[in-house]
Amino acid sequence: MTDTAIQTDGLGKRYGRTWALSDCSLDLPAGKIAALVGPNGAGKTTLLHLAVGLLKPDAGTVRIFGRSPRDDVDALADIGFVAQDTPLYRDFTAADLITMGGKLNRRWDAAFARTRLADLNIPLDRAAGKLSGGQRAQVALALALAKHPRVLLLDEPIAALDPLARREFMQTLMGALGDGETTILLSSHLLADLERACDYLIVLQTAHVQLAGDVEQLLSEHRTLIGPRIDADAEIPGVAAVIRASYTDRQSTVLARLDAPIDPTVWTSHEISLEDLVLAYLAAAERRVAARPAPPSQPSDSTRQVSA
Amino acid sequence: MIWLTWRQHRKQAFYTLVALVAMAAVFIPTGLAMHHTFTSSGLAACLAKLGTAAVVPDANTCDSLSQQFANQYSGMTFIGILFVILPVFVGIFFGAPLVAREIEHGTHRLVWTQGVSRRHWALVKFGLVGTVVLVLAVVYALGMTWWFTPLVQNGGGRMGDISFDVQGVVPVAYTLFAVAAGMFAGALFKRVLPAMGVTLAAYVVVRVVIEAVARPRYMSPLTASIPIDSSSQFNQWSGAWVYSQGVVNGKGTPVLQNGNVSCGSAPAGSARAAAGGGGGCGQALLQQGLGPGPFANAYRYQPSSRFWEFQGIETGIFIALTALLVFLTVRRVRQIS
Repeated sequence: MTDTAIQTDGLGKRYGRTWALSDCSLDLPAGKIAALVGPNGAGKTTLLHLAVGLLKPDAGTVRIFGRSPRDDVDALADIGFVAQDTPLYRDFTAADLITMGGKLNRRWDAAFARTRLADLNIPLDRAAGKLSGGQRAQVALALALAKHPRVLLLDEPIAALDPLARREFMQTLMGALGDGETTILLSSHLLADLERACDYLIVLQTAHVQLAGDVEQLLSEHRTLIGPRIDADAEIPGVAAVIRASYTDRQSTVLARLDAPIDPTVWTSHEISLEDLVLAYLAAAERRVAARPAPPSQPSDSTRQVSA
Repeated sequence: MIWLTWRQHRKQAFYTLVALVAMAAVFIPTGLAMHHTFTSSGLAACLAKLGTAAVVPDANTCDSLSQQFANQYSGMTFIGILFVILPVFVGIFFGAPLVAREIEHGTHRLVWTQGVSRRHWALVKFGLVGTVVLVLAVVYALGMTWWFTPLVQNGGGRMGDISFDVQGVVPVAYTLFAVAAGMFAGALFKRVLPAMGVTLAAYVVVRVVIEAVARPRYMSPLTASIPIDSSSQFNQWSGAWVYSQGVVNGKGTPVLQNGNVSCGSAPAGSARAAAGGGGGCGQALLQQGLGPGPFANAYRYQPSSRFWEFQGIETGIFIALTALLVFLTVRRVRQIS
């Protein structure tokens, strides 16, 4: 049976009058490697901070394996967290940080952390402030992993790294957790960083979850359909939702979520890449936001071009 | 947690120790010299003989020795001012960054997602830093009490504004209060510099208000009344904290504020004695219509024997404020988002 690792229900967080995250309901099954994708300011960090108990929800609940993470030592024991920009005590050496973890955690595998860092040629006796960004990220990851967490959350772990360090980081992350026991949720504003590694996708924009689900399932139920010119509001049999549509004089191109087979005599159906899917959902969310304050005016929908 | 706290603050502890040693290097020789002069010049014995009674037959016996000592060491009194502000520096540099620096550097995201609760984190951290500060404060309070004694006995007495503030146990309470204020400001503002500024301002305001408004009311003052023709004098070496002095007439109505009139005793049977109410100078007051006599110099004061009562009350107030601030800080740390 599959447990739910991270469960949020109507979760919301407000700063002043602005909701940084609103009405967020998710069920991340245990063992998944989930990508949390969205542009900067979409609410990714807020969601992660709520999930690790750094923030207190203003609405709804968040549970990690059924437990509220807020100031709960037992819940914290299950959580490994690498915060954005991988904060470390600058004057602590990696060895100090590993010792610190041992003092602050009941379950702690110091040897594991040391071995990892030694394998990566990261000096244990150098102050963290003098390590490179990539090395600091690796130290932070080693610290999170040494807890042997059931859920590992990483907030933009590779945003500040150069391409080589990014690849190394992702490799070590996946290498360390190949067992499938640990649930991972990692955020990025660039899907490309995560696409190969992840089997679950959460798209966040404008404080709302736009899309969440298993990657394979998402890919299998979304298609780009090309067929005859139809009206913008015409229903296509088998299409549950139109994410994006563009029209020329004679042709319609529709990115749609399907819930039944399509008539192949009318429509040719093309598979869609994960990146296109995410971009389509982000663009759709953007259009909704843009449309909200302004009076309804049509042109923006049909002028968008789709690359065939 | 203990290890972490030590590891985070050991450098600071080391520099503090260096500063303490440097201060000792200045204060021990000067203190020894002052104590030596104080005793060897005979001033100590003279003042001891004069005693701390509020009214004595002749209060001027030690004046020349005192002047001599003051000429040599009165500059040192200004060092006392350094110790008036020392507690707030401890608050600014030990208290304010405690929570604020973690948040400023983002390291709270590291440490608060380990396996200890924020409450535990805060209590151990505050407890350890508090203990170190306590020891530090006790050391400098004891040292300052010793160092300052000759100047205080030769000067305004230990109930006086600066000398009360740097001696006994109140410096310890001030220091703990300053640190607690710094921690709370840090937890509230989450930035080191604003927290430091607010700590300084809050410390000054609280200290001034308590010193100016509350302290004079801890206990009701004693009064002394010396007939203006008495040979007895108010003992300015008694170390008393004089609230007011003035001349009162026979009805007890004040007729002259912040001054005194003294004619010395009139020989028995003389015309002055017969005039009653102080003869010469009394006559002058009578002619001004300030009568009836007899006139007396009246003093309202806190005797120096109440030093420890005052210290205890003031310490209690600041310890209570400290406890409140620590409670609020821990609560705040648990709420910080």
